[in-house]
Amino acid sequence: MALPNQQTVDYPSFKLVIVGDGGTGKTTFVKRHLTGEFEKKYEPTIGVEVHPLDFFTNCGKIRFYCWDTAGQEKFGGLRDGYYIHGQCAIIMFDVTARLTYKNVPTWHRDLCRVCENIPIVLCGNKVDVKNRQVKAKQVTFHRKKNLQYYEISAKSNYNFEKPFLYLARKLAGDPNLHFVESPALAPPEVQIDMAAQQQHEAELAAAAAQPLPDDDDELND
Amino acid sequence: MASTDPETKVEEESSETVATAAAGDEEDTGAQFAPIVKLEEVAVTTGEEDEEVLLDLKAKLYRFDKEGNQWKERGVGTVKLLKHKQTGKVRLVMRQSKTLKICANHLVHSSMTVQEHAGNDKSCVWHATDFSDGELKEELFAIRFGSIEKVAESQTHKAGEKKEAESTADLLEKLSVGETKEEEKGVKEEEAPASVLSSKLSADPRFMLIESMTMEGGLYMHGTVKSVLSVDQC
Repeated sequence: MALPNQQTVDYPSFKLVIVGDGGTGKTTFVKRHLTGEFEKKYEPTIGVEVHPLDFFTNCGKIRFYCWDTAGQEKFGGLRDGYYIHGQCAIIMFDVTARLTYKNVPTWHRDLCRVCENIPIVLCGNKVDVKNRQVKAKQVTFHRKKNLQYYEISAKSNYNFEKPFLYLARKLAGDPNLHFVESPALAPPEVQIDMAAQQQHEAELAAAAAQPLPDDDDELND
Repeated sequence: MASTDPETKVEEESSETVATAAAGDEEDTGAQFAPIVKLEEVAVTTGEEDEEVLLDLKAKLYRFDKEGNQWKERGVGTVKLLKHKQTGKVRLVMRQSKTLKICANHLVHSSMTVQEHAGNDKSCVWHATDFSDGELKEELFAIRFGSIEKVAESQTHKAGEKKEAESTADLLEKLSVGETKEEEKGVKEEEAPASVLSSKLSADPRFMLIESMTMEGGLYMHGTVKSVLSVDQC
């Protein structure tokens, strides 16, 4: 479901509610999918931020309206008021902070009060961190409640597509749905004049002097 | 509702590493939901059907955020140089792995310049008018490849059981096959001494990228290939 000021699309769209304690990485996860960037800086979400997120599947293009809600109580805004008409959900916790896992049942309960029987994915984020407080086998809540569980890392992109893939399959009732290459349209020719080109080169020289983030990492699969 | 056998699951997980535990969890828990849409299978078009693949490498792409004066990650995946079979136009297309979304899509032409990134000998930077989102945007891109060894490895892998030297030679051959317009375009000799390169250097992904862009897109390179290569020689 789109916000009133958001344009509707002519392909299937779903309201996805993302909940979980503050600092577990909900916003970073969404941003990762939106722009590719990995935001290290923590800025608590106030109330909610809604972002459309498109995926291309073998059954056409689909869109999730991601309702990225505040995890911190003091910034909670309308709280479960944001859950209304939610069609699917992600509950996020941080495997390096035990308390965030302990709070999962509360998030789940509040969510299910508003949204009955919707597909929910439980995500244990930050699995790239060496010192985990919540080990994989200690995560059991999803079994009691029939949630799907994924260990993810917004930092390394480990399993980062899985929550969306699972939800899309459930929403469409198609276990074989998968992501496909979106059409790479032919870029139109552009005329670049000398002045513009010189400006680009100057900008490029300045940019080349700025360091790249995480220079030392080897490429992950 | 709970169709998963909890006991089996516990047993499975107790003897697993993190990675395999997650892989095991890919199996559906069996939760039943009424689907809310009915979707029909559609024909998939990549938009790359009429193009020849000149280059295909794993890489990490960054875009420069001018406001923040910093590089930001754009995606990790496969970068390709594609040449249109009819028009001969060359473009760079990069897709994010797993989601297969486009993170770069732009033409390669003579007014472009590519240069090394100051602080990283595995990356290079360029300006492009990018069409990833279906609208033209001015972008500064930086690309970083894995280690030369890794790339050589992956190329060997792609070439099947061939030895590393053989596969890189193959790749170079492929690159030079498409060089028909080289002379007309007046590409300087020093920019294309492909035959004299050792197999290790020619496996340098930056070199492969720049060389392909130079040959096929008529791009002007900042400095010479030699200057790029010298970094790896030391």
